[in-house]
Amino acid sequence: MSEAPVREQEHELDTSWMDQMGEWGIKAKPGKRGLTLAEIQIGEYGELPETTDNMTGRPRGATRRPEAYRVGAYGVRNLSEIWLENATFLYEEALQRQWSSATDIPWHTIEPLPDDIEEAECLLCTFFNEVEFVAGDVPARWIAKTSPDFFEARHVLIAQVMDEARHMDVFRKRALANGGGLMRMSGATSGFIGSIDLARDFTEMSTRLHISGEGAVLTMFRMGELMGQNDAEKRMYRLCAQDEARHVAFGVMHLRFLCEHAPERRPEIECYLDEAEAQIMAGLQNPAGTQAETSEALAILLGGGKAHYDEGHKMLLVIRRRQLKEYMKRVQSAGFGERFENGRSSIPEQYAAAY
Amino acid sequence: MARFPSEAWFKEVQEVYNSDSSLHTGGGGACETTAAFKVGDECYRIVFEGHQCLEIRSASEAELASPETDFIIEMAPELWKAMVENIQEHGAAHDDHTLNSIDLRQDDSIAYSPEDDQARQDLFYRFNQNFQDFFDASSRVETTFD
Amino acid sequence: MADKDAGAAVPAAVSAGDDDGPRVEGVPEPTYEWMGLSNEWGVRVKPGEHGLRLGDLNVGIYGEVPEEWNDHTRRPRGALPRPGIPPLPYNLRRKHEMWADCAADLYEEAIQRRWIPATEVPWGSLEPLPEEVERAICQICTEFCQYANTELEIITYWQDQMSYGYFEVKQFLATATFDCARHIEAFRKRALANGGGLGIEQRGSVNRMILESRGGWTEAVTYLYLLRGTYTMALYRMLLNAAHNDAERFIFSHCIEDHARHLTYGYDHLKYAVTHHVGQDRIMQTLLAIGESIMGTELKEGTMGSAMAVLLGGGIEGGRTIGMETYLHGVGDFVRDYLALGEWIGVPREENLNPMLKKYLVY
Repeated sequence: MSEAPVREQEHELDTSWMDQMGEWGIKAKPGKRGLTLAEIQIGEYGELPETTDNMTGRPRGATRRPEAYRVGAYGVRNLSEIWLENATFLYEEALQRQWSSATDIPWHTIEPLPDDIEEAECLLCTFFNEVEFVAGDVPARWIAKTSPDFFEARHVLIAQVMDEARHMDVFRKRALANGGGLMRMSGATSGFIGSIDLARDFTEMSTRLHISGEGAVLTMFRMGELMGQNDAEKRMYRLCAQDEARHVAFGVMHLRFLCEHAPERRPEIECYLDEAEAQIMAGLQNPAGTQAETSEALAILLGGGKAHYDEGHKMLLVIRRRQLKEYMKRVQSAGFGERFENGRSSIPEQYAAAY
Repeated sequence: MARFPSEAWFKEVQEVYNSDSSLHTGGGGACETTAAFKVGDECYRIVFEGHQCLEIRSASEAELASPETDFIIEMAPELWKAMVENIQEHGAAHDDHTLNSIDLRQDDSIAYSPEDDQARQDLFYRFNQNFQDFFDASSRVETTFD
Repeated sequence: MADKDAGAAVPAAVSAGDDDGPRVEGVPEPTYEWMGLSNEWGVRVKPGEHGLRLGDLNVGIYGEVPEEWNDHTRRPRGALPRPGIPPLPYNLRRKHEMWADCAADLYEEAIQRRWIPATEVPWGSLEPLPEEVERAICQICTEFCQYANTELEIITYWQDQMSYGYFEVKQFLATATFDCARHIEAFRKRALANGGGLGIEQRGSVNRMILESRGGWTEAVTYLYLLRGTYTMALYRMLLNAAHNDAERFIFSHCIEDHARHLTYGYDHLKYAVTHHVGQDRIMQTLLAIGESIMGTELKEGTMGSAMAVLLGGGIEGGRTIGMETYLHGVGDFVRDYLALGEWIGVPREENLNPMLKKYLVY
């Protein structure tokens, strides 16, 4: 710190800002969950604009400064394009439920496994490492494009980026922890997930990423716990599944909000669901589908080895059926269930055929 | 010694769970949910708030079906018993006896939303570690099944 | 070893056909063509004293961090490529464009040192402050929200352009944006928890300078962390010293910890860039010559200085004397730190320091 003497000099002080503050007298109180974002959504600070013209990046409720630079370039400026009713809840939940792959996974419980199982596990980890790259990159891209007036929703996406970084890390660790290594990349992240990359609308992206993609990955993580050969794997997959379920919840709740507040976009969203269902649920790229090499790895793990591949494959089909059912119910929860009744979606047929 | 299933048994588990601060982090952590367990004809309502299991008690079927209930975990009594026995033997659910593993081995999910809302059923996945920790805490409760 | 480009099979641990059990009708024949395809097998990294950390994984080929990563896909470093995958726009593909040796460790540290504003800040310790002081802290919190917002926006802008050859950096930056979100949350909560409210937004000259640096991530880091970030740290330290209650102490002490990680990454990256990229030092000299002027203008004309003075002086009257003097000493510290860091990074600024910053050295 400076050793120069503090001089008793009088300085001019412009305190005009004191008369230009936002709504005053706010005294948010902690609730039973602490002082959450929900507790501070009071007065003007809790008012969400339907459309925002905040292009300077000012915090919602702060006083506007006429000469402020419009540095925002925010493409997402309508509430219906990004919002979800439980944004504050999901963000606070994410904060509470963070974990460390370094110290919260009992790595010491991993012991050598039969070669075929180790290879299958390493292939799966390589795939998940790759897939989580997408889920980290793409929401990040949208954060900078979203007005800070919707910071609660932005914060949920930031938490997702954090979660995905942790997932990338934990799967790489597992692949290198037990005498194996990384294997060949899947390429799936340039297929159906390529279309997640290409989406130019947030809801389009979210439909594909959160509801379709992450819904499928959630099921796979849950399978990981079932297949796990030791406590480390079981815990790793269970914690990843928790995180993933939160991301899926974002997608469902956002779509629900949009369905209720921008019904004119329903036909458009139906088209995104059409594409997602065609690509993800039925195509090569669904690892829990019938053809991808990762599905072979899953079958080996579910069966407990190559010798029981067919049994594992049958289990995989049963789980795939569950995955399809949950997808339908999530889309229904989001307000788009009619598509499964009016013949628009082929998922009900796939579901019935998956027996 | 408490009999499984019974309100007394669940309350003993609740006490063990609430007193173990190691469960408050590392992916467990605070959660908010109202759920239920159905063991044959017996129903129990459970409420998690923050790091605590706030409430666990017997409940009626009607209560389980209330809009407050996020999801119900229901499985055959023999599956429940096998899970608890496994936990008693190993100190925590071992192999295929975790809630998640049991769930995936059934044709249909053991957790369902009484309002048929998948978003609420998904809370079973979002808070899976807490429910697993809760049942794993039963390893420290002397249990009888008779 | 596998042919990395062709993805040819290695002598497999298990080859297709071994150990196959009886087949069931209707189940498609597996190919197992993926088995045995690995660049390096037999890796067994063990957890150390602090668990299994990201940096521990850098063994064998998995630890080879190339100077240039020519892969335009999402291939994990060390995984085998697959021919025919369309490229993705990962424009930052050279190590000097983002690397810092400390990134992996900082990532793990960030996870271990996470905090939760809602439940860990002792909000109950807040008690009414003199009106002028409350207005000052609220104005400061408002501006900090904008600082953090700028930081997370510029990071997320660049993050998805960074290739996966340097995933440690991407993972660390994920923690940095998470920290920024937490800071926005904590400062907003502080402003709304004690009878106050938010203040007036900044004009945003430095924010603009940061957000408009589109030439490269290194250029953004120069402004974000060397200039603005070093100043922010000086402010946090002053505010911790002047905290009125446990809540503020908690917030500022934890923000200091978080921000210190960001700065460590930033400074390390800049040093790496200067030592590994010919001409980077001169680019930074040019940028800093411009940036110092903008920073100096904001220091002079912005509201932060006045708000800090009022807070440090216990009100307007004290702000005019001891408050402003204390603040100016803090700014002097910032400038001294900035010069020392510039020297260390390899971009000395003492000789050409902009007068608008140089004047603070007397404090």
